[in-house]
Amino acid sequence: MSIIKNCVRTLRFIGAYLVANLQAAMEYRAAFVAQVITMIANDSLWLFFWWTYFRQFPLVHGWQSTNIVVIWAVAACGFGIGMAVFGNTPRLAALIMNGGLDAYLGMPRNVLLHVCITASDPSAWGDIMFAVGAFLLILHPDPLHFALFLLLAFQAALIFAAFLVIFGSLAFFLGNTEGLAQQMLGALTTFSTYPMNIFTGVVRLLLFTVVPAGFVSFVPLQLLQRFSWPLLAGMTGFTLLFVAVAVGMFQLGLKRYESGNLLGMQN
Amino acid sequence: MDTTIWRPGRGAWRKVSLSLQKYGAVMRVSIANNLAYVMEVFFRALLLVVLVFILSQLWRATFSSRGATVLSGFSINDMVWYLVAAETIAMSLPALTRRIDQEVRSGQLAYLLGRPSSYIFYNFAQYLGERLVRLTINAVVGSILALIVVGLPHFTWMGILAWPLVTFLALCIDFVAYFSIGLLAFWTEETASFALIFSRLTLVLGGVLAPLEIFPEPLRSIAQALPFSTILYGPSRTLVHFELDRFVLLLWQQLITLAVGGLILLAVYRVAIRRVNINGG
Repeated sequence: MSIIKNCVRTLRFIGAYLVANLQAAMEYRAAFVAQVITMIANDSLWLFFWWTYFRQFPLVHGWQSTNIVVIWAVAACGFGIGMAVFGNTPRLAALIMNGGLDAYLGMPRNVLLHVCITASDPSAWGDIMFAVGAFLLILHPDPLHFALFLLLAFQAALIFAAFLVIFGSLAFFLGNTEGLAQQMLGALTTFSTYPMNIFTGVVRLLLFTVVPAGFVSFVPLQLLQRFSWPLLAGMTGFTLLFVAVAVGMFQLGLKRYESGNLLGMQN
Repeated sequence: MDTTIWRPGRGAWRKVSLSLQKYGAVMRVSIANNLAYVMEVFFRALLLVVLVFILSQLWRATFSSRGATVLSGFSINDMVWYLVAAETIAMSLPALTRRIDQEVRSGQLAYLLGRPSSYIFYNFAQYLGERLVRLTINAVVGSILALIVVGLPHFTWMGILAWPLVTFLALCIDFVAYFSIGLLAFWTEETASFALIFSRLTLVLGGVLAPLEIFPEPLRSIAQALPFSTILYGPSRTLVHFELDRFVLLLWQQLITLAVGGLILLAVYRVAIRRVNINGG
């Protein structure tokens, strides 16, 4: 019973921050709308290119041109939810380096969760709108498929956030890893938006472990095409494992954290 | 007693020469500044490795699935070297719009306007220095990767000689566009969205992922006629597949784009400068 209570409290905590961040973004309404529209246009341009490409040069091994829509929709929705809810994760390394965690250590909530949800990227809402729009308008899914899509996008969001926490937490051990985290995020998002059929051998292995692009796009694509419970269990298991690794790395690193003696307040 | 005879032609030439020296010095300082953080630039180039690797795998799969050795006039070797050339230019773009935007919003612009130099040319020299460092490192990293993946390129000497000129003009077109977008900070809450859209149009319609020949008609002709193709597709194709008539056409297209863009930039700058308020204190 207490676990359920804790879960509800945590969800309310995340929800409160999400609303507060959204209200803060809406203070600059024109800029917010411009960012959202720009991101929708950006994603649509890429999808248009790849749609054109794969219609012109279809790949073999059962590849269909609509598959690129699924890949882009899941990856964009996952990335969008990740950056809308856990929008502070890209800044984790900088916070660790500058003693920015001080403001969170004295708070009663879980430090990592609190740090991650403090900020939100307004343009992420554009990614979410694009992804949901593209999935509904191009693929016309039934309600069950749409529910599965949302579940998989949520898991992809957790993978994106955990990935950034892992590379951000390296700052506890290696110094400033902000640039590394950014580059790795770039690699993860890039690999996630291409068909997995084109990679083989060691690269494919890396894409299901260190840079888990396979779980962001390939496994969701398989599940949306031919659903199977074992594959969904595998996807969920990997997501939980990846989140656990991220939390473990942060907790381990936090023991080495030195305060910046910085006078400041959480913003 | 020295008698100075005023010669209009010589005076103008001397003025141009002094200006070139001045902005040349700004560019050298910018190059030195960027070389001081050369590891960071190398770090950025790693993403180029990822992109070129993925795209080369994609093209390999495409060639093998069609059982072809040449697609739209490009072999796999041409295609990978084209990608390296295009990504080298695309990924060398510095955050010019953000800098101009911040200078306008913070009021830093007012201090820079007081200097004995043109604000536009000062920024151009600084931009060029930064971009040349990034371009060179990207070219080195990309070339090593292409050599490993597909071996030596089949460039012609004319293509190699023409590439620096058309690439320089492409960098100038980029400057004119992103500088103008940065100046929009005088009127809009944020300019990053405009810069992102211009950048994406340049990448997608400018042929960063593949030569424009792969597009079906009429999209191909439209993309080739648009100014975005003069930034990435034109220079990269010139290097990989040099053709004299296409090169001359590209030069004209670049010069016209630059002239029109330059006029727009000057018009925006003139109107924007009138909105600057300088207060003492």
